[in-house]
Amino acid sequence: MMKRTTMLLVSLCLVLSGVSAQKQVKLVIAGRDGDYGNAMQIAVDAYTAKNPNIKFDVLKLSGDDVYQKTVIDLKSGTGTYDLILIDDPKALQYQQAGWLTDLDAMFKKAGKTLDSDFIPTVIDLCRYPNNAKGKLYSLPFVGNVSLFAYRADLFAKYGLAAPKTWDDVLSAAKIISEKESGVDGVSFRGVKGNPILTAFLPIFWSFGADFLDASGNPIVNSPEAVKALKFFLELAKYGPKSTPMNNTAQVRDGLLAGTVGIAPEVWPAWLGKIDDPNESKVVGKVKITKHPAEVKKSSPMIGIWHVAIPAASKNKDAAFDFLTFLTSKETQKLMVLKAGLPPSRVSVFEDKDVLGKYPWYPAILDALENGVARPRTLYWAEIENTMGALVQEALIGQKTPEQALNEANAKLAEILK
Amino acid sequence: MPSTLRSSRDRPFLPKIKKSFTYHSTTNRGLTGMKSKGKMQGKALFYWSILLPALIVMLWLTLYPMITVFLTSFQNYNYISGRRSWIGLGNYKNILADQVFLTSFKNTIVYCFSTTFLEVLLGTVLALVFYGNFRGKSVFTILLILPMMLSTMVVSSVWKTLFHYDIGLLNTILSRIGLVRVGWLIDPHIALWSIVLVDVWQWTPFAFIVMQAGLLSIPQEVFEASVVDGASYQQRLLRITLPILKDQILLLCLLRTIDTFKVFAKVFALTGGGPGNATETTSLFVYREAFQYFNLGRSSAASMITLAAVVLMSIFYLRKMLNSKEA
Repeated sequence: MMKRTTMLLVSLCLVLSGVSAQKQVKLVIAGRDGDYGNAMQIAVDAYTAKNPNIKFDVLKLSGDDVYQKTVIDLKSGTGTYDLILIDDPKALQYQQAGWLTDLDAMFKKAGKTLDSDFIPTVIDLCRYPNNAKGKLYSLPFVGNVSLFAYRADLFAKYGLAAPKTWDDVLSAAKIISEKESGVDGVSFRGVKGNPILTAFLPIFWSFGADFLDASGNPIVNSPEAVKALKFFLELAKYGPKSTPMNNTAQVRDGLLAGTVGIAPEVWPAWLGKIDDPNESKVVGKVKITKHPAEVKKSSPMIGIWHVAIPAASKNKDAAFDFLTFLTSKETQKLMVLKAGLPPSRVSVFEDKDVLGKYPWYPAILDALENGVARPRTLYWAEIENTMGALVQEALIGQKTPEQALNEANAKLAEILK
Repeated sequence: MPSTLRSSRDRPFLPKIKKSFTYHSTTNRGLTGMKSKGKMQGKALFYWSILLPALIVMLWLTLYPMITVFLTSFQNYNYISGRRSWIGLGNYKNILADQVFLTSFKNTIVYCFSTTFLEVLLGTVLALVFYGNFRGKSVFTILLILPMMLSTMVVSSVWKTLFHYDIGLLNTILSRIGLVRVGWLIDPHIALWSIVLVDVWQWTPFAFIVMQAGLLSIPQEVFEASVVDGASYQQRLLRITLPILKDQILLLCLLRTIDTFKVFAKVFALTGGGPGNATETTSLFVYREAFQYFNLGRSSAASMITLAAVVLMSIFYLRKMLNSKEA
């Protein structure tokens, strides 16, 4: 009797494990926290509704964490993750190191082709080398780009025209700061490293400055750059005192609460609720555009995130199927409408429902087409942190703009050596 | 007086262990020639076989990584590109000339000593206060040790909100009573001290518990005798209590120094090393070099320098403790 029961149990176990091994696939996604995480979850839920046999483990990590975890895992080839998100300026090292699955081959294998709906400037960044002939290693998860937001009602109140140049922005910030009580003229992120540098870059570029010259030498202490940083510090005078500690939440919440006149650096995902009366006190009052120009044209920063399949993934086919679902028109539309995640397909930008909910969306397309990508180097993380720390030191008055940028240039030369 | 006390405290402690350890007594007998040599070797083998698994795990998890870090610190090793070459003392020279590292080292030292000093001081004072009897003592004791039980990340998030320049509780109170707002985390001259404050808030309870245990272990008779001899409170405190508690104080200093020297989570969560480099610490420097830039050579060299500093300080404390034992 005992023996038979054991036999039965063992065979039952075998059958069950056989069934689960056959059908159950678990995809591990190294994703982002916040709005990106919510959007990813929406896509995953929609996919599991159709494919109940695929299970997901969606990790919601900070930008630094996702980079750190994926680099360690991909380098060692463990294959922990089946899909990973990559911040655009870091894409080069993943592409160059051969850590990612060749998606051209995956498309061929699945009998599909890549459609031409993706914004050309964006999809080219997913190839290596970055042009139409490069090999495809990733697809754009989000067509992100920095934008410029200002309170149209306050501008009208004080007779200010829509800002065309950064000088217009400065004078408007001054007027709003002085005349409108309880409202800061400007508000931007001032945390050292990525946040403050990201806030600074649209000004940096449109003042005619750049990171590297044609032969790859750092030129961040050029007269143009110094002028840009001086302007940035001047602008900061009309911001809240807590700027050096302010990050996404503080800038976004200030904008929604109506305590910010001009937000010179905002991201589409922050603006999803700008016209939602439950969350926002400034419904219909905020105008969103690409950045003003100065000596050069408007230079919004491209901040797309790639989604790719690690070469070491053990579930490439399942991952690829989900990847095509994730970047399809329908899913992008779903993520836009439910989580405010900016798409990377032209057709979604032109979609009626999308434009109905976010009338300011053409600004993103405009900004993406004018956008500037950060320099493609293997050492971006180090460059960004170094320069972001020094720009903040200038902001809190520990260094003059010249000192900060000279030091940044010397350090960049050291890093790139 | 203190020396007799110390031995009376130590003596009942050691024999108890010896009695309960029967192996000890047999080995002793073996040493005096009662047992054969083979039996002794058997015993030794038995001890080794018990120790070995733990020893292997320890060697593998402590010694091996330490040697690897030591060797890597002499290399130019980028994890992403895989580029790896020997450069001798290059990393050390480079780091010791790096303004960011020097600032972070200075910050770590300032942070480490000020938190240790304040925690031990406050812990001792609190233990002395709680040595007396008053109503609600047990409730207060529990309340007092609560901060220690919270996770550092939770503590940091709570304090980050309290410290906020515009909406934080501290600044709201200050401005209500007519004082100027303080840039707790945004003023480069204050930020480090704000983090010191959080650590003192969180870890003074630990110092308090250790000191209280020490105080309670002092026999009442000593105090009674000194009172009969006409000693004042001050005399009892400085001549009896504190000298007896010297070991506890040194132990606390050692533990808190080692712990605070490694500070990472608080700085990471509260300021991220900012504003500027005002709250950079060596752990943060090592973390950034290793896990954001993947310069493993540089980060290894920085960890070796940190390790050397901690070892030096520990030796200082341990020697003090051992010396006081011998005296």
